[in-house]
Amino acid sequence: MRASLLIAGNFVREQRWPILVLLLWVLLLAFLGLLPDVARSREDLLFIFKQVAVYVVAFSVFFGGSAIYNERKTRRILAVLAKAVARHEYLSGLVLGVTLACAILFFALGLTGSWVLGQVGFPVSTVWFLMVSLVAACTLAGTVALMFSTFLNPFFSAGATALVLGAQLAIGYFSKGRYDHIAPFYALIRSVTESSYQTPGRWMWSGILVALVQTGFFWLLAARIFTRVDIAVAVE
Amino acid sequence: MVPVLEFEGITKEYRSVFPGRTVRALENFSLTVEQGEIFGFLGPNGAGKSTAIHLAMGFMRPTAGKGRMLGQPFGNTNARRRVGFLAENVALYHRPAEQLIRFYGALNGMQGRSLRRRAAEVLALVGLSAEARGNVGRFSRGMVQRIGLAQAIVNSPEFLILDEPTSALDPVSRVAVRDLLRSAREAGKTIFLSSHLLSEVELISDRVAMLHRGKLARLGKTSDLLQSGTETEIVARGVSPGPFRGTLNGNRLVKFTVPIAEQRAALERVWAQGGEVVSVNPVRRSLEDVFLEVTRDLGPSASEGRTG
Repeated sequence: MRASLLIAGNFVREQRWPILVLLLWVLLLAFLGLLPDVARSREDLLFIFKQVAVYVVAFSVFFGGSAIYNERKTRRILAVLAKAVARHEYLSGLVLGVTLACAILFFALGLTGSWVLGQVGFPVSTVWFLMVSLVAACTLAGTVALMFSTFLNPFFSAGATALVLGAQLAIGYFSKGRYDHIAPFYALIRSVTESSYQTPGRWMWSGILVALVQTGFFWLLAARIFTRVDIAVAVE
Repeated sequence: MVPVLEFEGITKEYRSVFPGRTVRALENFSLTVEQGEIFGFLGPNGAGKSTAIHLAMGFMRPTAGKGRMLGQPFGNTNARRRVGFLAENVALYHRPAEQLIRFYGALNGMQGRSLRRRAAEVLALVGLSAEARGNVGRFSRGMVQRIGLAQAIVNSPEFLILDEPTSALDPVSRVAVRDLLRSAREAGKTIFLSSHLLSEVELISDRVAMLHRGKLARLGKTSDLLQSGTETEIVARGVSPGPFRGTLNGNRLVKFTVPIAEQRAALERVWAQGGEVVSVNPVRRSLEDVFLEVTRDLGPSASEGRTG
């Protein structure tokens, strides 16, 4: 567990620049909150809030899909896996790292959203619930991407992840939410994208729970595949 | 005593995504490394040295055969806790040196004050105490290699696997690393040293294995391999060098070499000329001579596309 935490912390450190760039978007939202007569532009503020949230979800796929590839390409993975670190611990570290990176961003977005949206009538408690939902969605998306990246390059891994998550979105969309228990990604994203001042996001703990169960499933699959991968072979 | 490292009939093939293209990096490779020795592992580019090392570390799986490291199957996490590994062209995270060493130590289960103390110790051992706060990303290649060595020994390993540990080092640093390896051996540790610097290996290895095209080409004690077994060097006094095609040194000693079969006749010629035999020794070759002999006897080195 300690090794996984160390790898997670190291992952966040290595991804500090993309995290910083996304934090600048959050800062933009905070800046807009300083404008006079903020109530008049409250729909725009909510739109930017949702936009940043979706960007972070997209970045979680990028984080997950490129982690192993980058480590193998730079050969830094060798010095890590030469230590007493099992492959599944290494993957756990990366999943935790993706979660931690997204949690940092959503914490900043939550703080900003509470302040900016809170002053124009959006319930602060819902802002934080949405942040928790988004962290769960990012963990799932990042883990699916990580699973594919154990045997695909980041480009194909992102494509395959888009297919899996896109299938969840399609199931959720066409069934009008009847299959949220098998397509939690759609349910979690919808609770953010369909939020409005009149009907703030739906509180859906079951969606978070199912997303975590699916994360566990994809992590197990990733661990099973990654155990068999020749990590010292150069990646293209 | 259980061998520290054991390869048993290992074959490793790299399969291409294109059907029918397979590169065999190791073929039915067997080798045993005993405790407390410095073992030199040599071979031309593409011979399969790095593949063998990566298999031992569990970075890849053999196509056939099996192996054990510190009594555990290859890839065992607990065995790796007792091993120090330095990869060829080591790549490390760009962090302050001391922080980086602590990170790798922590991955091996070390923590707290003992880890901080050990990190400072290993930085001193590789001569980088003054750079402890410097970011590894700004280090020269030689310094990175020394940091790589420091992370390999931070856990005080019983067994060190070093892939080209001195390739980027200046002569002074090479001597320091050589001394470090010797003192590790004196402390009972085992060192598996893969290197292209044959003179380095010759100076410190107890035993040497030479790999060529994925197969074991030579194995033996370094001293045995260095003896030619075909020629003798004779040093004599009181004879002229001409008839022996020898050289005369400052002490009026004549030195010449003859095939072992002609040794007796040569000695008798010295005595017949009223000379005195000072010494008779088997001619020592360098490891480079042995290496070249192996590569010449067994054909050209690395085939195209072969992995290291």
